[in-house]
Amino acid sequence: MAENVEEPWTQARGMFASLLAGPVLFLFAFLLAPLAIIWGYSFGHTQGLKDIVVDGTFANYAHALNPLYLSILFKSLVFAVLTTGICLVVGFPVAMAITFAKPQSRAWLLLLIMLPFWTNLLIRTYALMAVLRTQGYINVFLGFLWNSLSHLVATAHLAHLAPFQPLDLLYNNFAVILGLVYVQLPFMVLPLYSAMDRLDRSLLEASLDLGAGHLRTLFQIVVPLAMPGIASGVLVTLIPSLGAFLTPDLLGGVDSQMIANVIERQFKAANDWPFGAALSFLLMYVTFAAIALQSMFTPKRGRR
Amino acid sequence: MAETQRPPRPKPGPLDYLARWPLRLWVAGTVVFLYAPLATLMVFSFNNSRRNIVWRGFTLDYYAQVLQDESLQHAFVNSLTIALVSTVLSVILGAATALLLWRFRFPFKPGLEGALSIPIVVPEICMGVAFLVFFTKVVPWPTALPWPLNLGAIIIAHVSFSFSFVASVVRARLASFNREMEEAARDLGASEWRTLMDIIVPHMRPGLFAGGLLAFTLSLDDFVITFFTSGPDTITFPVKVYSMIRFSVTPEVNAASTLLIVITVALTAIALRLQGSDAGHDAL
Amino acid sequence: MPETPALPRRRPHRRSLLAALGASGAAAVGLSFGLDGCSDKVRRGANGEDAKLNFYNWDTYIGKDTLKDFRAATGVDVNMSLFANNDELFAKLRAGNPGFDVIVPTNEFVTRLRVADLIQPLDHARIPNFGNLLPEFQTVVFDPDRRYSIPYTWLVLGIGYRKSRVDGVPDSWKWLFDSDRYRGRIGLFSEADDLVRLAAKYMGHSVRNVPESLLPVIEAMYVRQKKHVRVFHEDNGQDLLLSGDIDIVLEYNGDIAQVMQEDDDLAFVVPKEGTLINSDCLCIPRGAPRPDNAHRFINYLLDAKVGADISNTIMYPTPNGAALALMPDSYRQNRAIFPPKDRMAVSEYGDFEGVERTHMFDELLTRVKAA
Repeated sequence: MAENVEEPWTQARGMFASLLAGPVLFLFAFLLAPLAIIWGYSFGHTQGLKDIVVDGTFANYAHALNPLYLSILFKSLVFAVLTTGICLVVGFPVAMAITFAKPQSRAWLLLLIMLPFWTNLLIRTYALMAVLRTQGYINVFLGFLWNSLSHLVATAHLAHLAPFQPLDLLYNNFAVILGLVYVQLPFMVLPLYSAMDRLDRSLLEASLDLGAGHLRTLFQIVVPLAMPGIASGVLVTLIPSLGAFLTPDLLGGVDSQMIANVIERQFKAANDWPFGAALSFLLMYVTFAAIALQSMFTPKRGRR
Repeated sequence: MAETQRPPRPKPGPLDYLARWPLRLWVAGTVVFLYAPLATLMVFSFNNSRRNIVWRGFTLDYYAQVLQDESLQHAFVNSLTIALVSTVLSVILGAATALLLWRFRFPFKPGLEGALSIPIVVPEICMGVAFLVFFTKVVPWPTALPWPLNLGAIIIAHVSFSFSFVASVVRARLASFNREMEEAARDLGASEWRTLMDIIVPHMRPGLFAGGLLAFTLSLDDFVITFFTSGPDTITFPVKVYSMIRFSVTPEVNAASTLLIVITVALTAIALRLQGSDAGHDAL
Repeated sequence: MPETPALPRRRPHRRSLLAALGASGAAAVGLSFGLDGCSDKVRRGANGEDAKLNFYNWDTYIGKDTLKDFRAATGVDVNMSLFANNDELFAKLRAGNPGFDVIVPTNEFVTRLRVADLIQPLDHARIPNFGNLLPEFQTVVFDPDRRYSIPYTWLVLGIGYRKSRVDGVPDSWKWLFDSDRYRGRIGLFSEADDLVRLAAKYMGHSVRNVPESLLPVIEAMYVRQKKHVRVFHEDNGQDLLLSGDIDIVLEYNGDIAQVMQEDDDLAFVVPKEGTLINSDCLCIPRGAPRPDNAHRFINYLLDAKVGADISNTIMYPTPNGAALALMPDSYRQNRAIFPPKDRMAVSEYGDFEGVERTHMFDELLTRVKAA
């Protein structure tokens, strides 16, 4: 990778200003302003049913730091990290395959990966349930295999197999992780693809020519070169998984409550916006802390 | 763009990973994983039963119902309009942001980077409520505007959460740019803007395309934020569907989703074709 | 119950919504992006209001032709949009009414909305059909003299079950809340308020004013029961029951009656301890742009013939006596729609008891789920 030295903004004021204007204006007017209101709410309390008095209280944060909520937060973190790890492992080869595919087929391969995600999340989740449920397609198929096998074994007078027991694929933590991977996978593949595409092939070819195997080339050349894409992919997968509520709601069992479920209930059923806001921003502070930590331990790109 | 003109490979080269069976198998497995539930959905859109669970024979009734359900069609059109407009805006804003962060060193840069990760970090529901309060109390968006102006609030909300996703993807792409190209162009007398448009933007294309896909997907699928910003006249497809299937999925919803997939694929295919095969290759 | 008629709460309906939106040209064909104006095309009615009405309702909760007939009778176009639950409705109205004229909250939310001053008093002089309502619905605990709400339907929570997989009739909350007999096959409703109140009912208390001392007992019971429960469902219990994922579930009568029609092996019972009664009501939110149309619409829905048409489509119990008289026996005698009198006699409406209680119940459920 070429040395990427940023230039000071004063060297190209015109371009700097024109690039800056749109995003910053939008950011302040339509993102920071609305969020600032909610941030304010996190220091307030509900008066009556709909009015929120912002009185600078930290009670909501104190409440959110209750071990109950911290343990739920921790569990959500574990779920999100697992999901991101699986997405990375599954998505990396797919992104590589797309990257090194023929140019004509690349757009179509990308579409193939993205297409399922143009269906509403709720509908997709219900569809996934139809596949996984007790009498879903997986269980029906396995049951068919088992019964055929047991029939064969019985006709051969070998033994009698126990009747087929459907697998419990739904309403547990496994289903939640699977569902999250299902939902988040393209958000991993896209940045990976975007970063790997047109990475310097001569490096790879050189590595192969010098006798390094494909795997060695992969881990020593491709992965380091794809690092920015991996970082971006991890970010856009990990954090939304942390904020998922529909997947654990519908696929999860009695133990699958995640932090976003609790937050969602504060804004709806519990009607406690200040507490919901405090939980949301707590989640945000944690994420920012994690990003800051991560950037402290990763060497700067420019110096590599 | 010399970089793009790779010599044609008549047979699988050492890097043509897609031609190798382990990777083929991997991709195929992933595709099956992604499509098995969708295939179920599409098959059950022809099911002659109110429920999704037991197969009770073939029917096209639900397609007929979808085609007659004007409110569903209106929601369709709203969703596609919002997705298209917000994707274009998100790609422009996201690309500008990515360029800015990649190219320049300036005060408050970490602040800007932090602000950009906010939409990714804040739970959707929190953003939804933020927009609800913002668009009813702070900047009341007039509800009686003619279509499509009444979609403005929703489009703004969508752009504000998706453009930072685009920026993140495009920035990852820019990291692989060889600055010497740019310097060469400038040494040859090209202006700042010419260099940008002729050298850097073409390099960004895969990132723009990937980011655009991401933004389109996010917008088309968004329920939570849209729910809070929509009014009686600005229902989108996910909002409509969500209220219809909160209790159970009906074949009508399956049929509508199948149609939505077919329409979006058709539109994308047309767009890819219109770009021309050459441009298409270049873009990717 | 083979005589169970269809209860297709989610039945598709065709409405001329686009006409109401004034954008019929825009979207009559899926993809033609017309730019017809909206506001400038809406006609005005004789009462000076736009000939239009924004109706915020549950899905498939209206007669097949009701809206069309209303337009024919009054010239007012009804634009119906849908919400999925009361919490959404409340959250949406909380910051300000985005333009709805008539909404359909459940009884407890009628109280909430009234306390929050989000709905306006009704003008009974403009609702002459009020007399069609059965006397017991003309004044109720949550809204004396019906100053703010007109009942539209009522419904009860109970136990839906698969006959071949349970022993006899599971007519006690015990089988859901306090027993391992159906372990791994139980589905509970993920609604904190309902779970707490029904547990209190099971323990012999009223669903109203559940004493605070009872809450730890209830919590302990659910924590104990949790290991036998397969899932806390999101009001999709009838689907889980039909698909065989669970065999016994806490759900609304209407939802279970829907799937009973698909599968003879399913049934519904109101437990002997009694249950929570709910009632969905018509209200006019504050800031409704067209209050006169709203009153006319509410009055129209109370008409005997119109009410019967609605009941024929949605098959929920109706509080409208005049409409009930027009209904066939297959509806009036249906035990899933109208549970036995003795069970109704021990059942009660829930009450909104303040935000503090809501928060308390919610946290209780959070703790149970995290335990």
